[in-house]
Amino acid sequence: MFKALRRAADRRRHADGRYGWLFQPYTGDEMVAVACRATEPDSGHGEPVAIAAVRLQGDRVLTSESLDLHVRRPEGLTAESVRRHGLRGVDLDEGEALGVALEQLLDFVGNRPLVGWHLEDELAMLNRGLRPRFGFDLPNAAIDVAHLFQRRQRYRHPQLEGRPRFEEAAERLDVPMMGRHSALGDAVTTALMYLRLARDDAARRRSS
Amino acid sequence: MVDVDLSQPPFSLLDEDGRKRVSGSLDLVYFDLGEIILDAGQPGESVFLIHKGEVAELDVSRSGELERIGHYTAGDLFGAISILRGQSRYRFRAEQESLCYLLPKSEFLALCDDYPAFAECFRRNLAHKTRLLAAQRASGGSLMAGAMLARSRECMRRPHHLTKAATITEAVATLDARRVDSLLVDGENGVGMVTKTDLLNALVLEKWPQDAPVRSIANFSLITVRPDQYLFEALVAMTRHRVERVVVMEDDVPVGVVELTDALSHFSSRSHVVSLQVEQADDLASLSAASRLMPDLVRGLMAQGAKPRFVMGLLSALNGRIIGKTWDFLVDERYHGATCLMVMGSEGRGEQILKTDQDNGLILEENLAWPEREACMRAFSDALLELGYPPCPGDIMVSNPQWVGGETQWRERIDTWARRCDADSLMNLAILLDARAMAGNPALLARLRESLFERCAGDEILLSHFARPVLRFSTPLTLFGSLKKPQHGIDIKKGGIFPVVHGVRVMALERNITVTSTLERLDALVADGRLEARFAEDLGEALSLFTELRLKQQLERLDGKEGEPDRVVVQELSSLERDLLREALHIVKDFKQRLSHRYHLEYG
Repeated sequence: MFKALRRAADRRRHADGRYGWLFQPYTGDEMVAVACRATEPDSGHGEPVAIAAVRLQGDRVLTSESLDLHVRRPEGLTAESVRRHGLRGVDLDEGEALGVALEQLLDFVGNRPLVGWHLEDELAMLNRGLRPRFGFDLPNAAIDVAHLFQRRQRYRHPQLEGRPRFEEAAERLDVPMMGRHSALGDAVTTALMYLRLARDDAARRRSS
Repeated sequence: MVDVDLSQPPFSLLDEDGRKRVSGSLDLVYFDLGEIILDAGQPGESVFLIHKGEVAELDVSRSGELERIGHYTAGDLFGAISILRGQSRYRFRAEQESLCYLLPKSEFLALCDDYPAFAECFRRNLAHKTRLLAAQRASGGSLMAGAMLARSRECMRRPHHLTKAATITEAVATLDARRVDSLLVDGENGVGMVTKTDLLNALVLEKWPQDAPVRSIANFSLITVRPDQYLFEALVAMTRHRVERVVVMEDDVPVGVVELTDALSHFSSRSHVVSLQVEQADDLASLSAASRLMPDLVRGLMAQGAKPRFVMGLLSALNGRIIGKTWDFLVDERYHGATCLMVMGSEGRGEQILKTDQDNGLILEENLAWPEREACMRAFSDALLELGYPPCPGDIMVSNPQWVGGETQWRERIDTWARRCDADSLMNLAILLDARAMAGNPALLARLRESLFERCAGDEILLSHFARPVLRFSTPLTLFGSLKKPQHGIDIKKGGIFPVVHGVRVMALERNITVTSTLERLDALVADGRLEARFAEDLGEALSLFTELRLKQQLERLDGKEGEPDRVVVQELSSLERDLLREALHIVKDFKQRLSHRYHLEYG
């Protein structure tokens, strides 16, 4: 509710600005899978160190049109996150400043719907960077693959509960893990998982 | 981005920049089980590289079993030919849920323009692809590979000529001055050779005067090779003829001499060491010690990238010497001129690589009295067993009186077999067709084979019966890739080697071709006009490929790995090898169709 109000306010404020078009409803057939790597994942106040996005169209993952950004060493880079992502401070020195990276992301994504694994968390992190710099949150339609997967699992195995893990879900869906430990790899894997789930959905609808 | 292995051909033919272009333009697509990825007649829009899953290639103009013509699995590539041809000839259907990378047509064609070697790869025939594989192995293999591919021309010495009138004194002076071991001498009918040993024997043992013309002691039946033949072949010739040098001839003009020592220093391999041991053996025990070195020799040569064709040649020469020596030890010299020991089957064709069963027979001159023959032959078979040649399961051995006989007796046997035409008779004929004389008087076998050809070559009905077994085993194209267990692999002997060997044998019988090796038969059939050169070359390559795969399995068995030697598990091959195997099997299939047409095998 609060989010909807906020988006309406954002739209009104930016309708005539540079990013006004982001608020237009999308009419094409593409989507964008996004994945981030953060300094402190799951903690609710990490900063992105890598942002990746890849377009989907129909049954294709357009890996040839993808975005793979490394963000310059943020304040919150700790030894722990270095170990986790295999990214060291030096690797990130080459990267973009967060503001530039987000700008590239906005241009790449446009007003296409977004697909992601636990997309809420990723969006929250991106928005924490976006709002102070651009004055709005990502207004795009969002599809959470983790949510779709959980719904499918509940439908098939009602006794299971708990938050599914990314690797486990990929294995269950028979999707190969692409370039693990890179944000782009995660984005592609997520995109493939989404295609898989969407197909299953379509098949179920046809048969019922 | 994306994890895709571009280190295999054809992508290995691109440079770093080209590979970056490929990985930068790949998309990923899911195909459902049963989904048609590319239909016959459709224009090709992309090259497909399978990341996961299986895809069948179907010929829509056929039905049932015949429909499937190919099977692709992870790492394989398809669709390139469709782009080059403008449209797809076949239908590609996902056999499992499949995930493919797509390389767009525009980028593929641009790469073809920029990298001619890459483009060639899609236009070449099987022979070219095999060469590519060999080159790839050579580059990754040992330093020896270079030496194995050396030509005779690279290792020959300039020949030293003496005129017709030269005397022995002049010859010795020249040898000394030039520091060589042999000289060429012009004679009445071409060139002869004289060696240090010849001169020594002539002067010391035969007491020739020093001013005698050197041509009277020279040897005029020369063993020759062509300059473009592999050095390896020169070595095979030396082993086979027990000489230490061969003359390199180009258009009947001697252009050089390859000395054994030079060839050996070029190789420093064990091949001649083994053959020296065989030559020097003077009892069965030392012969057996030499014969035990052979598996290692094969392994070494194969690791060095020698072509199976040459390894087979060398080993068949060595086996021949071992069997011949054994014969000399056990059979009294009195009988040597009146008998002929023949080896048959793969040994007769010179195509076995590791030691195979004893397949041998004996031809006797008419009315030869040899009372202790049976005991002697039993001793011979036992001795070969000692040397590591297992007995033939079909008992085709000299210890079996069925495979010993006088000339007339043999002719009667052939006639009975040809009249009966049952499975055993036909097999016996096939075995006899591959016979090669190994010891004794080879003229006996030559006469026998002549009458064999006379009796059978024109007999259409016999030929048709004779050709039929070619169709007995189906070509294992359909099972490609989908089998996971080793014991379910492709039987390469039944599915690949047998149809080629037997088919070529039938054609050779029809056309009166007397050579026994399959590759030589193919050459002869081309010369005869029966096969076009390109098809024969492809068949030969296919056979070499099967042999090589089978040999690899046999060597692994020796290393103690489980499984059957004739089964090839497709999943263990690299994608290029798989591609080659697939194409080779297609050629076999094509060959079978031709045979079936020629010998009317469609009916019955």
